[in-house]
Amino acid sequence: MPLYEGLGSGGEKTAVVIDLGEAFTKCGFAGETGPRCIIPSEIKKPDVAKPVKVVQYNINTEELYSYLKEFIHMLYFRHLLVNPRDRRVVIIESVLCPSHFRDTLTKVLFKHFEVPSVLFAPSHLMSLLTLGINSAMVLDCGYAESLVLPIYEGIPILSCWGSLPLGGKAIHKELEYQLLEQCTVDTGLAKGQSLPSVMGSVPEDIVEDIKVRTCFVSDLQRGLKIQAAKFNIDGSAERPSPPPDVDYPLDGEKILHVVGPIRDSVVEILFEQDNEETSVATLILDSLIQCPIDTRKQLAENLVVIGGTAMLPGFLHRLMAEIRYLVEKPKYKEALATKTFRIHTPPAKPNCVAWLGGAIFGALQDILGSRSVSKEYYSQTGRIPDWCCLNNPPLEVMFDVGKAPPPLMKRAFSTEK
Amino acid sequence: MASLLQSERVLYLVRGEKEMRAPLSQLYFCRYCSELRSLECVSHEVDSHYCPSCLENMPSAEAKLKKNRCANCFDCPCCMHTLSTRATSIPAPLPDDPAKTTMKKAYYLACGFCRWTSRDVGMADKSVASGGWQEPENPHTQRINKLVEYYQQLAQKEKIERDRKKLVRRRNYMPLAFSDKYGLGTRLQRQRPGAPISALAGLSLKEGEDQKEIKIEPADAVEEVEPLPEDYYTRPINLTEVTTLRQRLLQPDFQPICASQLYPRHKHLLIKRSLRCRRCEHNLSKPEFNPTSIKFKIQLVAVNYIPEVRIMSIPNLRYMKESQVLLTLTNPVENITHVTLLECEEGDPDNINSTAKVAVPPKELILAGKDAAAEYDELAEPQDFQDDPDVIAFRKANKVGVFIKVTPQKEEGEVTVSFKMKHEFKNLTGLIRPSEEGDHTSGVVWLTHHVELSLGPVLP
Repeated sequence: MPLYEGLGSGGEKTAVVIDLGEAFTKCGFAGETGPRCIIPSEIKKPDVAKPVKVVQYNINTEELYSYLKEFIHMLYFRHLLVNPRDRRVVIIESVLCPSHFRDTLTKVLFKHFEVPSVLFAPSHLMSLLTLGINSAMVLDCGYAESLVLPIYEGIPILSCWGSLPLGGKAIHKELEYQLLEQCTVDTGLAKGQSLPSVMGSVPEDIVEDIKVRTCFVSDLQRGLKIQAAKFNIDGSAERPSPPPDVDYPLDGEKILHVVGPIRDSVVEILFEQDNEETSVATLILDSLIQCPIDTRKQLAENLVVIGGTAMLPGFLHRLMAEIRYLVEKPKYKEALATKTFRIHTPPAKPNCVAWLGGAIFGALQDILGSRSVSKEYYSQTGRIPDWCCLNNPPLEVMFDVGKAPPPLMKRAFSTEK
Repeated sequence: MASLLQSERVLYLVRGEKEMRAPLSQLYFCRYCSELRSLECVSHEVDSHYCPSCLENMPSAEAKLKKNRCANCFDCPCCMHTLSTRATSIPAPLPDDPAKTTMKKAYYLACGFCRWTSRDVGMADKSVASGGWQEPENPHTQRINKLVEYYQQLAQKEKIERDRKKLVRRRNYMPLAFSDKYGLGTRLQRQRPGAPISALAGLSLKEGEDQKEIKIEPADAVEEVEPLPEDYYTRPINLTEVTTLRQRLLQPDFQPICASQLYPRHKHLLIKRSLRCRRCEHNLSKPEFNPTSIKFKIQLVAVNYIPEVRIMSIPNLRYMKESQVLLTLTNPVENITHVTLLECEEGDPDNINSTAKVAVPPKELILAGKDAAAEYDELAEPQDFQDDPDVIAFRKANKVGVFIKVTPQKEEGEVTVSFKMKHEFKNLTGLIRPSEEGDHTSGVVWLTHHVELSLGPVLP
C-alpha cells in the first residue's frame, strides 16, 4: 500500500484523474499505480441501438453538454463511487483538444458536479513524470491520430509538434475494407459466402477485436517487402509468405475466415509513406529537425511512445527500425547529426502512461491546489485559461508582474490567493 | 386500454436551471422550496456501498481501502459473471501417519456461465473456502511509489518557496540587512546563465538547498527493443487462447494477452445514491442503509404531494370539433384539497407545445382526502360534495373524474394540450411553534403547475 494513500496530511482527499480519450477513457485516483477502470468513451441512449461517442468535436454545445454530463455521472457513480463535490479533478488532455470541448467539459464539471477545482494536464508532459526525466520526445499513438511533441527540460516545445491521422481509426477503416473485400463467411446455411452478402458493414467493435487479437506489425525487412508487393503494379515483387488464416466466430452461427495476408498488411498503413512521405516514424524525425539544434541529441536518446495503438505486437521494434532506416535517407542524413536513438520503458502499459503521470502529479497535494482552476475563479471569470486563446484575462490579473516570472508556455495556470 | 396509463402522456413542467418536462412519477418535490425538482437539477451523492452478489454493506472507509471491491466475491475474468466456490475432496496424507490418506477438502473457483475455473490459470486449490484467494500485485508499484516521493519532495520545496515569496513580498519595506533572515534572499534564486532552466514549473532541484534530498535514478532508455519471435509469423493462433480487448481492459495493471494469465478480480461494489436539492441543501431522497431493503429514510417524491392528472378516456378527435376528454385527479394527501384548473394565457412562455384549445371547468374542484381505512369502513356516510354533473363525471374516495373540452387546432399530427393546475399545499415544515390564535391557515401555500397532455393523433 502506498504511503500516501488515504487521507493526506491535511485531510484532503485524493484527487480524481480522468484521461478522456476518443476511444477509451482511463479514470482513477491520484497516487495509485493504475486506473480503476478503462472503459470505452461512449454512452448508451435508451432509444438508439448503437452507443453514442462522447468525445465528438463537431456537435453543438447542448448535445455535448448532455453527453458529457451523463458520461461523467457514470464515471463517478458506477466506477469511482465517490462524491464529485469532495475531490479535485485532474483531466489529461491532448494539446490539440478544441477549446469548445474543453470549455464544455469545464462547465459540466463546475456547474453540474460542483467539483472544487480542475487541472488540465497535457498528456505528453505527464508521461515524463512516470520516468523521472525532464526531456524527451513523446509520441502518442492513439485512436484518431498520432501526435508527437518534444519536451525539453520540462517545457513542451510547442512549435515542433507534429500529427498525422494514422491511429486506431485508420487501421479499423483499412481492416474493414480488406475484410469486406477478401474474406468469406460460413453461416449456418451456406459455406464460403462473401462477407458483403451477409452483412453490409462490419460493426466497429468486431473490427477492433479482430485487430487486437490477430493483427501484428512485422519487422522492417518484412514490412518493406509487403509494401513493395502492394504498390507494385506489374506484380514482380513478391510478398513474403503470409501468416496462417484465422477463423473468427462472429456469433453463434457465423464464422468469418480472416485470410492470412490481412493480418500483417493492415498495420502497414502506419508506416507506408504516402505522397507526402510521412509516416508515424517520420513524425519523430520531422519534429526533431524542427527542434533547436542543441536539444536534438538529448531528445533523440529519450524517446517515449504512449497510446493504445503502440501496444500492437511488434510496433515498438518496427518503429525503432524505421527511424534508424529513415535517418540514413538523404532527406534526414544531412539535417540530423545525431544517429543514436533510445527508447524508454515506462512503468505502465502504454495506454495508461499518460494517466499514470497525471496520477503522480495529482498526488502532490501541496501544489495541486495552486495550479488548478478553482471553482471561485471559474465563477468569477467564466472561463478557463487556454494556451491558444488570446482573449484570456491578462497575466497581471493572475500573477503580480515583476515579483515572480510569468509562467512559461503550456503550464497549468494557478490562482494566487 | 392499458396504453392510457402511460405516464409519458402527462408531463409536468419543472423550472430548474433548464426547464424540462417529465411525468410526475419521475419527479421529486422539495418541501422547503415548495417546488418540483427533477433528477437533473438535484445533486447526487454517494450514500453507501454494497456488494451486488453477497449484498453486504461496506463502510466507506473500508471501501476506500479495498479499492471499491468486495472481499469475498470474485468476477470471472472471461465473462464477468460472479464466480462460485466449489469444493472437491482430494486425498492427502495425514500429518501423523504418512501411509494412510484422508480426504481433505480443496476449494477452487468456477464460473457457472462460461465454465472457467481457477485451475485454468494455474491457481492452486485452497484449503479455506474464502479468504485464501489473492490478487496479483503490480510489479511497478515500488518504482511508482519512489517517483511520487521524489516529486512530493520537489512540490514541498515549491510550496515553501511560494510561501516564502509571499512573506518576502509583504515585507518589502524591511531594510536589506534583514534579508538574510528569510533564507537565501533573491540572488541565488535567480536563474544563472548556463544552469539548466528550472521548469516543469519549478519541479527541479535548485542548487545549494537542502542536503537531505531523495535522489531518484531517472529511467534508462534502451537501444534495442525486443523483436517478435521468429515463429510469430508462421504460428497459427488459437483464438480461445488470446484475450479480447474487453477482458484485457478489466485488468488495467496487467492487460494480459494470453488467457492463461487472466486472473480473477474481486467484484466491484455498487452504491446507493441520495439526492439533495441544490438550492436549500435539504435531502430529497435518502435510502436505507441496509442493502437488502428497498425502502427510503427520506422520500420526498412528487406523487406524494402533488395531485396527479391521468387521462382516462379520449374520444375521437377531429379537426376543429370540440370533444370531451375524461381526466382523473388523484389527491395524495390526507386533507381535503382544492384544485383549480386554469387555461394558459395568450403568450404564455411555457406554452410551446400545445396544438389544441382546451376549455377547463371554471369552478374550483374539491378532492377528498386520502383515507387508508375508507374501504374497510362501510358505515361511513359518503361525503356530499354537490358535484355539477357536467363537470364531474364520477367521484371515488380521493379520486375525481373531470371533463375537459378539447378542440384540435391543427389538421394533422399529435394533439397536445396544456393548462395550469393550482392547488393548495400545507407546508408542515415550519409549523413548530404553537399558534396563539389558533390560526390554522398559516403554512398553506398555493402552487401552480404547468401540465401538458398528449392525447394522440387527430383522426381524419
